[in-house]
Amino acid sequence: MNIICTPAGIVGRENPRQGVLDIAAAEFGDILLDLSLYCTCTELENIEKENVDKESLIKVSEHPEKMHEIIQPFLEQCKKNGITTSVAYAPYLMWNTKRKDSREIMTRLSEVSIRTAAQSGCHYIVIRPLSAGIPKKDLWEANREYYLKLAETAKANDMMILLENQCKDIGGHLVRGVCSDARDASRWIDQLNSQAGEERFGFCMDVGGCSICGQNMYDFIMALGDRLKAVILRENDGCHDSALLPFTCAVQGRSQTDWLNLIRGLREIFFDGQLIMDIKDTAAAFSPVLHSGLLKMAKSVADYFQWQIEMEYVLKKYPVRVLFGAGNMCRNYMKCYGEKYPPLYTCDNNRKRWGERFCGLLVKEPTCLQKLEQNCAIVICNIYYREIEKQLKEMNIRNPIVYFNDEYMPSFYYDRLKRDWLLEDNDGDWRTE
Amino acid sequence: MEIGVQSKDIVYDENPAEGFEMMRCAGFSCCDFGLNAYLTNTQLYSYEVNDFFSKPVGELEKYFAAHKRGAKGAGIRICQMHMPYPVYIPGANEDMNRYLMRTVAPKSMDICAFFECPYIVVHGFKLARNLGTEEAEWEQTERFLESLVPIARERNITICMENIYTNIGSHLVEGPCCDVKKAVERIDHMNEKYGEEVLGFCFDTGHANLVGIDFEDFIVTLGKRLKVLHIHDNDGIRDLHQIPFTFTRSRENMSATDWEGFIKGLQRIGFDRVLCFETAPVLSAFPQKMKQDVLKFIAQTGNYFAGEIAARRTGEE
Repeated sequence: MNIICTPAGIVGRENPRQGVLDIAAAEFGDILLDLSLYCTCTELENIEKENVDKESLIKVSEHPEKMHEIIQPFLEQCKKNGITTSVAYAPYLMWNTKRKDSREIMTRLSEVSIRTAAQSGCHYIVIRPLSAGIPKKDLWEANREYYLKLAETAKANDMMILLENQCKDIGGHLVRGVCSDARDASRWIDQLNSQAGEERFGFCMDVGGCSICGQNMYDFIMALGDRLKAVILRENDGCHDSALLPFTCAVQGRSQTDWLNLIRGLREIFFDGQLIMDIKDTAAAFSPVLHSGLLKMAKSVADYFQWQIEMEYVLKKYPVRVLFGAGNMCRNYMKCYGEKYPPLYTCDNNRKRWGERFCGLLVKEPTCLQKLEQNCAIVICNIYYREIEKQLKEMNIRNPIVYFNDEYMPSFYYDRLKRDWLLEDNDGDWRTE
Repeated sequence: MEIGVQSKDIVYDENPAEGFEMMRCAGFSCCDFGLNAYLTNTQLYSYEVNDFFSKPVGELEKYFAAHKRGAKGAGIRICQMHMPYPVYIPGANEDMNRYLMRTVAPKSMDICAFFECPYIVVHGFKLARNLGTEEAEWEQTERFLESLVPIARERNITICMENIYTNIGSHLVEGPCCDVKKAVERIDHMNEKYGEEVLGFCFDTGHANLVGIDFEDFIVTLGKRLKVLHIHDNDGIRDLHQIPFTFTRSRENMSATDWEGFIKGLQRIGFDRVLCFETAPVLSAFPQKMKQDVLKFIAQTGNYFAGEIAARRTGEE
């Protein structure tokens, strides 16, 4: 999985040095090439308006050919700090755009964006589907033409185009827009790839958009499967289109985003694509003086997501495994993964437990681990990960060590349903109760 | 097309005829009779039950005889009913869930039949987070529905699943039956299995608005499976059950709910059933002296919808 930081709210357009430096110091190795920062949706909304302030900045919408030149200071800073740009994001119109004539300008801008992204070392570019001014019944045909035209440029530049789920603005209320139905989006991608004759299209899931529309993110991800190449991780309050650091939009101690279903889905499809951390609004709200610390926190959060998402992938990676810990986390491991990835046994520091059977596993003393084959992983099922890892290292154990965690399980085991279901019981005519 | 409204805050047990008369005067011809008033969700989520539904069917029929007479006297048809909800509470004890599934649900069907009402609205179980998937959740709901099918067939009742929400913190997100494609497959599957329309759908506009569902697409995908409606409006954030066109969220002050999509959807599927409002909170919010006026306004809103749907249908022809 490749973790990417978005520059919005952090990196200045005119002077990108400080922002890129902060991102590099937080140990992000990749930055989103966000071309919408150089050709904003406000600029696009106001093209050709006479009374718009003619500021000194070059308008990319009027001079698309200058896009590459304009982003040079940013790219130079990235290069200087050893940061790559794997994914680009093309300019787009705002969700409440009043424009009805978007096709021509968006095609021109997207073509230039693809070329610019390729020259900048990107492999993927997110290009939002068209919707402004297009009747619902014509959406697919209009987008088919649009994307297939772009596919030629993408092919010439060896770039993959990612479609993204959109919201639609109804009187200020954001609702499900084009590509927000993952099954429809999958069909579009398959048809586009089929017509392009190769895998030129994929999908970028905007978690913020899904959350605003209250969507079941597990189902969303499962419908996309391996078409899902990138995920934009951002939080909001389920109402406003903001990009906050995950877990920070909490009400009464609870985050407003359905992280459980997101992680369940990404884990189940073994997602290994681009994980894009978008904290634009959190960063913009913080003083730039605090950006350095904020970005380090953002990187920790991104690493946490990667760990959670890759949990099953890591279990799968090792052919044999033993557990360390004989408590609730071990129980949850056995309930959710015990059958798929059976451990040889578990061990525990509590000598009173040695020899006991727990969830079908024999509880052994930790010294048994010294006799393990080298390819056997030790899966720590206890929150004191670092302490246990240290103990194992001190015991000269060199086997791979894996941290298991049960915060986001594929299901919360629920055997009481079976007890509650008495409808099948043969205990008389229940209707007379 | 007929216009209906829910019974809550209009029809009272002390003098049901008065409430039905009020409906008639306001311009309604149909009523959505809420059995959930006799065992409320607030009670249930506090793990409290009462013994209202423990009464024998005969006694319940006797209890509702005045309601039936009152409705008939006012010329109001009970077009749809609402079963108490939830019918399964993950945190409740076995006795309580057994009572809900095995007593409250079938007795509700019996009362529905007593009112000669063809549709009863049921909420699906909210278990996806526990069980891991929406499919696993549906399996449990389906088992419950299957248990009601014999009564539905015997009494000529169609059970209607409703799109409902669940919550992540204070954020309301999609819950059971919000995926229309799955809903359609499941309804067809069950109806084919039993060879008759035992299952239908209740489209709730307010719940759909909360999770940004495209009204027109949803309704058109449902087609003839759409049997009943819960029409109400909200701010897209909370389940407020207000009058359509109430909420605006931009400086242009246009409705923030897709009522145009609602009209188009109903027109496209040739909907000719009851436009039924679930707007009881409006009645408690307005001064009691204005209740009749408010009801009239709700009925007029229904007439507007009916007029638009009919006019566009004629235009299409």
